[in-house]
Amino acid sequence: MRRASTVTTPRKLSPYAIARTRRKKSLQRFAQAFFGQPAGVIGLVILSVFVLLAVSAPLLFDREMLDITKTLGNESLEPPNGDFWLGTDENGRSILAVLVWGARASLVVGLAASLISMVLGTLIGIGSGHYTGLAGSALQRLTDWFLVIPFIPLVVVLAAVLGQRGLGTIVLVLGVTSWPGTARLVRAQTLSVEGRPYLERAKVLGDSDWQQMTKHVLPNVMPLVIANTTLTVAIVILSETTLAFLGLGDPFLDSWGTMLDKATGAGAASTGAWWYLLPPGICVILVVLAFTLIGRTLEVVLNPRLGSE
Amino acid sequence: MVHRSDRTARGLVAASLLCGATALGAVSTPVAAEAAEDDDIFRVGVLQDIDNLNPFKGITAAAYEAWALMYDGLTGYTAEDFAPTPRIAESWEQSEDGLTWTYKIRQGVTFHDGEPLTADDVAYTFNRIMDGRLEKTNYGSYVAQIKTVKATDDSTVVMKLKNPTPLMERLAVPILPEHIWSEIDDEEIRQYANEPDSDPPGGVGSGPFILTDAREGQFYRFTSNEDYWAGAPNIGGVEYRLYRNADAMVQALKNGEIDFADDLDANIFAALEGTEDIEARSSVYYGFNYLTFNSGAALTDGTSIGTGHPSLQDPQVRLAIHHAVDKEALVDRTLDGRGTPGTTVIPPLYPEHAEPDDPVTYDPDEANRILDEAGYPLGSDGIRTMPDGSDPLVYQLYARSNSETSQTTIKFLQGWLEDIGIDSTAETVSESRLYEIAGEGTFDMYEWGWVVEPDPDYQLSTFTCGQFSYEDGGTVYAGLNDSFYCNEEYDDLYEQQSTETDRDARTEIVQQMQLMAYDANAYIVTEYYDYLQAYRSDRFTGFVPQPEPDGAILFQYGTYSYLNIEPVTEENSSGSAAGGVSASGSGSDSDSNTGPVIAGLAGAAVLGGVGLWLFARRRRSADSDVE
Amino acid sequence: MAVAAAVRAADSDPEPQRPARGGQQGGLGRFIGYRLVAGLGTLVFVLLFNFFLFRMLPGDPAARYRAVKSISPADLAKIRDELTAPLPQQFVAYLKDPLALDGISSWKGQPVWDLVQGRAWPTLVLLGATTIVAVVIGVWIGIKAGWNRGSRFDKVSTAVTLLFYATPEFWLGLLLILLFSTGIGFFPGIFPSGGVIDSGIDPLSFEGITSIADHTVLPAVALAAVYLAEYSLIMRASMVDELGQDYLMTARAKGMMDHMVRRRHAVPNASLPTITLIFLNIGFIIGGAITVETVFSYPGLGLLTFEAVSEQDYVLMQALFLVFTMSVIVFNIIADIVIAVIDPRIRT
Repeated sequence: MRRASTVTTPRKLSPYAIARTRRKKSLQRFAQAFFGQPAGVIGLVILSVFVLLAVSAPLLFDREMLDITKTLGNESLEPPNGDFWLGTDENGRSILAVLVWGARASLVVGLAASLISMVLGTLIGIGSGHYTGLAGSALQRLTDWFLVIPFIPLVVVLAAVLGQRGLGTIVLVLGVTSWPGTARLVRAQTLSVEGRPYLERAKVLGDSDWQQMTKHVLPNVMPLVIANTTLTVAIVILSETTLAFLGLGDPFLDSWGTMLDKATGAGAASTGAWWYLLPPGICVILVVLAFTLIGRTLEVVLNPRLGSE
Repeated sequence: MVHRSDRTARGLVAASLLCGATALGAVSTPVAAEAAEDDDIFRVGVLQDIDNLNPFKGITAAAYEAWALMYDGLTGYTAEDFAPTPRIAESWEQSEDGLTWTYKIRQGVTFHDGEPLTADDVAYTFNRIMDGRLEKTNYGSYVAQIKTVKATDDSTVVMKLKNPTPLMERLAVPILPEHIWSEIDDEEIRQYANEPDSDPPGGVGSGPFILTDAREGQFYRFTSNEDYWAGAPNIGGVEYRLYRNADAMVQALKNGEIDFADDLDANIFAALEGTEDIEARSSVYYGFNYLTFNSGAALTDGTSIGTGHPSLQDPQVRLAIHHAVDKEALVDRTLDGRGTPGTTVIPPLYPEHAEPDDPVTYDPDEANRILDEAGYPLGSDGIRTMPDGSDPLVYQLYARSNSETSQTTIKFLQGWLEDIGIDSTAETVSESRLYEIAGEGTFDMYEWGWVVEPDPDYQLSTFTCGQFSYEDGGTVYAGLNDSFYCNEEYDDLYEQQSTETDRDARTEIVQQMQLMAYDANAYIVTEYYDYLQAYRSDRFTGFVPQPEPDGAILFQYGTYSYLNIEPVTEENSSGSAAGGVSASGSGSDSDSNTGPVIAGLAGAAVLGGVGLWLFARRRRSADSDVE
Repeated sequence: MAVAAAVRAADSDPEPQRPARGGQQGGLGRFIGYRLVAGLGTLVFVLLFNFFLFRMLPGDPAARYRAVKSISPADLAKIRDELTAPLPQQFVAYLKDPLALDGISSWKGQPVWDLVQGRAWPTLVLLGATTIVAVVIGVWIGIKAGWNRGSRFDKVSTAVTLLFYATPEFWLGLLLILLFSTGIGFFPGIFPSGGVIDSGIDPLSFEGITSIADHTVLPAVALAAVYLAEYSLIMRASMVDELGQDYLMTARAKGMMDHMVRRRHAVPNASLPTITLIFLNIGFIIGGAITVETVFSYPGLGLLTFEAVSEQDYVLMQALFLVFTMSVIVFNIIADIVIAVIDPRIRT
């Protein structure tokens, strides 16, 4: 109803070069602002360490070390010592090796599920902000409704209902359940972008909905989406831990959550096997903390409204 | 209600139970709190809930244990070696042709409500099972060969059979009071909770303990039956407390909140050993874990079903896989060494167990050799294929989501299969889902376990053709046969043993059958696991193992320990410290000190009533908690 | 970790969830009326969602009842007919009894609502204890840190709360068991590690209440840590926001005592987002107790959920899921109304 789509004007408004310089400058500004925040830097450092560990896992520990048929020679639940710096698990595997390989699983689950969540949340958020009619308000309602559904029970029930216990299932479950927060945020931002003059102009000039959303709205909401997705990764990793602990993870995947589940199963709390219980928990905390710190810093840097500090 | 002058406490129990809240108004709570700490209540921590106190409805081992406290069977099992032994039936004899069995019913046995137990109650119980539908689920196998059951007089029951069966000495069916259960019809029985506040009041049996309080998911209390025909227990009562994880239960044991912790994990057990005042006991048990093969899933009518890999129908492939499985490693890793590598399906603690002369050893090279010889070539990717080059050997494996052992075993199996050129994908599912998968035959291998009864019949039936899956109303239901092993010769032997009433002759057949299934590699019995229990040696002494001397000391076929244990006192403490379990045997002087017992009973009575009252008020209290 | 996650997601958005503004002319009654209607809409959605979620099950749904011995073949056939009927037909049946009041647990063979009722009160106790602990400590830290922004207290408390924020609560629970129940070194095991009350005690007597308290301390602490972190972070942020307001500058400039300014102006105004969050969280904590109740064998709705999941009892799961969701809806509405009462600006 507010579109005048009869005139098509494929006129370029500004050379891309200008935009590029502008972006480069703003990126510099952003980097400066980000590194001015100690919390963000700490988060980045912690995360870098874990990413490095995850990437170099095959170099540090042979994959064979995770195969329980190959570790029969080792004591089970051995306390930390010279050979095994973090001791061994109930199958005689080096906890350090499992932990490092576990970083892969946990990060992959966290990132993959967050990606799904980001795409869903952004699409629904922009859609609900851009379309004013029935479609828009339907999307908004949907978001509001999903926000009401308690997250963990939903995740637990969904995982239980799907039955299959594999990496893909976990990613899917966490991905399709964690988008509403992003969607609501994106919607608010979309609304504010839609009110800006250049978007009015684009409308008058007859850009299609798709063009408006991708060319104008998306670039403007993207920073916020990234900040929010960073926070989502933290939540997803925590949730994976929870799922695994409740026995809804993939027991054949060595993630930190699975380690905690196995540690509990092996009676680590009552046998005093602290070396089995503490490391995965601390790793989860550190990575979640890293993502939270980075996410919060990004929010402050990218969203001046919050940036009172 | 029978009151005796010196059993006022008992009267109070009944009164408070019946009158509920009214009787309780007068009783002050401090008494209850004192009684809760009463020293002679034997508190048992369990990980599995008593799923139902109604002996026709429950299925868990905990439920069977509770029924054993509440009821007496017609016959029982000895503590020494599970041999048949008199309970409610004092003696019995069979006719020449084995088709008529006459049971002499013990006189002077009374139910908890004071009514005498007579031959009529026995006949009623059996007839109810034979005429019932739900009633048959737990006890149907006992009555399968029975034609009629009649009480010819107060102390005699005569059973007529269709075919002779050795099961007639094994009638561990709880004898129910007719005067109560006859009020519950076929429909009501499905909802009947059999708790003190049920209508009609439930839990009434003739057993050594009387149910006083049941709180689903939390605890179950029993008080001792002072009038028990075999002598009153030496303890004031029994309480089961439910724990959701072994850690919490062991903590409770260490803190003295419970006196006994049942069914421990190996790791936790190891940590308990050497703890002061705690005796950790590893007992031989009648359960085993196994890996099964889908050796050709089909319905009883012969229709093939499922998605089993064709290679597993070849006995040589199954033999090769058997060679690839390192059972010692499994015992070591999944049981922390608390068990033994398995062979046949009747565990070694039973006299009927057969041990193969030449057991299959762990030998991956041999496994590869067998597969090469049988013509399963290795593909370029290191995975074997069928002899014609089709169908790479990729197996679908399943583990149980509630069992660490199961998951670890499957993880090991994946590695071992890889060693012999077999690829696999593994999935974890719940037991109920696995039951469906088994029935539908949509698996190649999975891990599960059986717990084997003293009578081998049921276990042996799991390899018979008649126990294949069957279809009803468009749905495929699982039978007991989850390996789809089928052999006419085996089936014939099965028929033979089921009518052979001579114990030795039967044992011979039974052993032959075990070896047949073993040689065909229907299952890989991976391990016979030990049963791990622990108790406060500073609290109770006198546990009786079954079988002697290495068997379990609780959760037995019978109530031997419950009847023999007594609180540790100055006099008996030194003995218990030295002798532990094995020293105790059957030695228990049953002159119970009635003072504490009566106090305990009074307390239990109050508690029972308070429990009832609370039960009624539970919703209200929940509401008021919000504020 | 549970539910905190959802709130964590939401908390990056400073605006608490609220329906689109309704009546322009304001009026509390009208606002509440609108809010109730919106809540009803949400409820309808949740009921629909619940229906379809549990129709995604693999396998023969009736098969799950095979293990239930109390069900006769005739009943089983009936259940199968119901469960395999065409979707629209199932839907009509579902609408007749959306709460599955007639539902039978495939795990216990009992009516599901009997099970749910019996387990409700421990969760409510835990919920109350958790909320009180988290709110009192969290808000106190938040106020202090926000007021003295940049102080050492602020830095330390923010670091600690962020750490809590990142901690899986069940893991914290396991550590608490290790420390205070198992006992390590000098620490004696001083708290019970499982259950909600010693057996056979009247929960309403003095002993009963002490026993319940004794059993609730550790799980409540584990659960409260996460929410405490959240409250203090939000409270701190609002305080910081509030401190930037002109009126506060004026008040301080007028020479009012620092703590007077704080108590009279800053705290009340900064409390609104936290109050909203507290109410919203109450609904979430009920569901969030799943892991903590499991770790501590605390026989509430969370543990029941875990059991329903382990036993694959979908009828029970469905009922519990509905209980959790409805409690969130209810507390959402309450939160909006409370805020509207406190702060009339909202409803105009």
